[in-house]
Amino acid sequence: MTEQLVFRSRWFEDIPVGEFHVFGSHTFGEKEIIDFGKRYAPQPYHTDPEAALGTRYRGLVASGWHISAIWMKLMVTYMERYATGVRDGRRNGAGVGFQNMKWLKPVRPGHTLTYTYEITDKLEKIVRGQWGIIRSRNEAYNQYGELVFTFEIDILAELNPDNRA
Amino acid sequence: MQYWQDIPIGQHYRAGPITLHKKDILEFAAEFDPQPFHLSSEAADESIFGGLCASGWQVCALMMRLLADTLNQENIMALGSPGVEQLRWLKPVFANDQLHADITIEDKTKHQDYGDLICNISVYNQEEKCVMSLSSPIMVAYQNEGDSRND
Repeated sequence: MTEQLVFRSRWFEDIPVGEFHVFGSHTFGEKEIIDFGKRYAPQPYHTDPEAALGTRYRGLVASGWHISAIWMKLMVTYMERYATGVRDGRRNGAGVGFQNMKWLKPVRPGHTLTYTYEITDKLEKIVRGQWGIIRSRNEAYNQYGELVFTFEIDILAELNPDNRA
Repeated sequence: MQYWQDIPIGQHYRAGPITLHKKDILEFAAEFDPQPFHLSSEAADESIFGGLCASGWQVCALMMRLLADTLNQENIMALGSPGVEQLRWLKPVFANDQLHADITIEDKTKHQDYGDLICNISVYNQEEKCVMSLSSPIMVAYQNEGDSRND
C-alpha cells in the first residue's frame, strides 16, 4: 500500500497530533498582487507600484488576504491526493474559523513563500454528531527564511462511522 | 483626512451591500479554493453545506473590500493590518446572497508612530443572519502635535 492510499482513507480519529507537512510554495507576481488588490483590497500599497513607494511599505506588497488565499490554494492542491475516490470529493476541509493570524513581514513581487502546517490539537467538540475539529498551526516563510505569516485554523474532519453514537 | 485620534471608541460603520453571483463563487474557487462544494452544485448538495457556497476566504476578501471602501470613503489614513485575532465562519454564503458589514471600533492602542483601531466586524446576509465575524486591528496614521493639518 502506498502512503497516498493510507492518507486518503483517514478519518478524524486517524489524524495524529504532531503531524507536520511542508505543503507548497508560491511566488507572488506583481500582476497577481495588483489584480487581487484592485478587486479586494484597494489601497495604494496593494494596487499602485509608484504610489506604494511613498507609503509605510516603501513599495508594492501583497494583501494579507491574498497570502491567506494562496495558503488555501496550496492546501487544496496538496490534499487532492487524499480525496480521490471519496464520494463527495473529501471527508474534511470545511473551516470553522481561525485565530492569531499574523502578517509579520511584507510580501513583495518576486517573493516566494513556503507554507507549512502542524496538527496541534483535536478538539473535544463534535459537530452534528459527524464531524470532529482538527486544529493546526500554519506558517509561511519567505526565500530568506523569515517567518512572514502564521495562524491557527480549525477544520472539520469526518468521524469514523464505526465510532459514531 | 481622519487620523487615529479623530476616531472614537464605539464608532460604527455599515458597508455594502455587495451581491455575490454564482460566477464569482466559481471564479474564486477555481483560482484559490477548488474544493467540490465550491465548484459544483451537485457535489455541494451532498456536502455539509447543502448547496454551492462561497469559499470562506472569498467572504474574507469581500469583507476586506467592504472595509477598504469604508476606510477610503471616510478618508481614514489606514496603514494596513498586522493580522486577525479571531475569525469565525458561521453560515455558508450562497449564490446571489447580498452581504453587508457592520464595523465597530472596540478599542484603540497607540504605538510609537501609528495607532491601532481594534475593529469588530460582522458580515450579514440579506436575511440579517451573521455569516462571519472577526476581530482585527487596523493600523492608522497618528498625527503628532504640531503637525500641520490640511483638512
